[in-house]
Amino acid sequence: METIKKIFILLGSLDRRIIFFIVGLSVLIPLLKPEWVNLPIRPTPESQIVFDEINNLNEGDKVLLSFEYGPSTKPEIHPMAIAILKHLYAKNIQVYGFALWPDGNFMSTEAFSEVSVEFDKKYGIDYVNLGFKPGQEAVITGIASDIRTLYTVDLKGTPINDIPMMKDVVNIEDFDFVFSLSAGFPGSKEWVQYACDPKNIPLSTGCTSIQVTDIMPYVENNQIRGILAGMPGAAEYESLVETELQKMKITATPGKATGMMAAQSIAHVVIVLFIIFGNITYFITRKKKRKG
Amino acid sequence: MLTAEIMGAWVVVFLTLCIFSFLYKDNPFYKAAEHLYVGVSAGYVAVISFWQQIQPNLFGRLWPSRVEVDDGSILQSIWYTIYESFNFISTGFGVLDRSIFPEGGIKGYDEIRMIYLIPFILGIFMLLRLVPKLGWLARWAIAYIVGMAAGLRFYGFLNSDILIQIKASAIDFTSDWGTIINALILFIGTLTGLIYFFYSTEHKGVIGRLSRIGIYFLMIKFGASFGFAVMGRISLLIGRFNDLKDYSSSEYNYATPIILVFIIICLAIWSFMDGEKKNESTV
Repeated sequence: METIKKIFILLGSLDRRIIFFIVGLSVLIPLLKPEWVNLPIRPTPESQIVFDEINNLNEGDKVLLSFEYGPSTKPEIHPMAIAILKHLYAKNIQVYGFALWPDGNFMSTEAFSEVSVEFDKKYGIDYVNLGFKPGQEAVITGIASDIRTLYTVDLKGTPINDIPMMKDVVNIEDFDFVFSLSAGFPGSKEWVQYACDPKNIPLSTGCTSIQVTDIMPYVENNQIRGILAGMPGAAEYESLVETELQKMKITATPGKATGMMAAQSIAHVVIVLFIIFGNITYFITRKKKRKG
Repeated sequence: MLTAEIMGAWVVVFLTLCIFSFLYKDNPFYKAAEHLYVGVSAGYVAVISFWQQIQPNLFGRLWPSRVEVDDGSILQSIWYTIYESFNFISTGFGVLDRSIFPEGGIKGYDEIRMIYLIPFILGIFMLLRLVPKLGWLARWAIAYIVGMAAGLRFYGFLNSDILIQIKASAIDFTSDWGTIINALILFIGTLTGLIYFFYSTEHKGVIGRLSRIGIYFLMIKFGASFGFAVMGRISLLIGRFNDLKDYSSSEYNYATPIILVFIIICLAIWSFMDGEKKNESTV
């Protein structure tokens, strides 16, 4: 028993850099050897709701896709953007891209160019990228009342009145669905507050893990229809879309989030073990101190 | 062959490893990357805000293409003379090519909107913060922004975060048992959580016990937030590692291993020299 206690005390005094190294290895090894860890991906009810909401849209419907993330949160959100676009394109839904973050422009451009080529979609007819406007929630209010007060040209500089799919679009009420790819402020919360709740437009979100607990009250209350929570949410959505595309006999490249989930799971196990060890060590040391 | 893609990959790898080097300790690589990040981000946001908002939506509304609005009046000629004088200043007194103020006005709108002079003036007031004697004028612009934001947010919060959320915390006794229990837990959690933050009464007796229950609910929330935060950070780490893995191939001239070895050697030398300096200063 004393030996075990000594081991735990030794573990407790580990240099933080060794812990960083072990966590780093727990991420790196599954990335280099993904075949070593094969874990099933089961969609949560929240991810399933997002999928069902989009799957129930009809051909020709209009979806507003808002990019509120940048390179710093790309690993979590970008796979969602790709999977959502694949799903929307497979169902021949018109996609309108907006960005509430300046670097959202890069993300939207990358996502559209990657998936549009694969699904042979035409700019201005099947999708449009209107880009970023500064103003945070004021931009959402502008989109809710009159898009043309803010957007005169798209991201490429084309006047929006010359874009065929913009002809019948005045404000948010002309959209059938809103999807927010959110990494913070302004993001999903602001879409609920300034556009989707007041105008009663269905909204779903794919957000970073850190935001999930803040967004959940809206999801529970159906103000947001389902949520894709971080990288696991992206992986779940990818698996759902892949199954749907197989049903539709459409071949598409597999998503990235699924491949990263092995690393995510192993790293979590390692961190949880460190937390347990840390707590045991703490209690042993405290007991020893009390005994004197 | 050295392409832009390969060069980009080398920059990405170098900056990523510079930031990771902080895990060892604070060092010049980390500091350089950090400063670069802040500078580039600020510069990018400033440029994009100007070209996507101020130029087309503010100047574009004040001085739209003259072909669209020309009525031949003297006032309009004076107005566009001001436009030309702005152009003269912005081109470095005629040295540079026209860019912000194109010839004959900015395309996009078909009427002059004088009301936009107000945000234009307030914007100038904001910049006057840099002039100590006139800095007080910036308060007007700030007051406008704060007032506008408060008004805008008040409705959003009141509707989506207060009224609808209060409605949602009500218990529907006609639904199934599972839903009722769930709603009951939610109701108790909300109520006791609010009691914990109610400081007008001393937390003793019933109030004390209820606020203690509130703490447990809050702890569960913080625990969930912490778990999700860890998950998010690990996802970002995976993203960076994935890029580093991709850039370690021969296609990118082995960017990752070469830069990694370079940074390790430099850090070792720096650490050694830093240690010597400390020893000298101690002596």
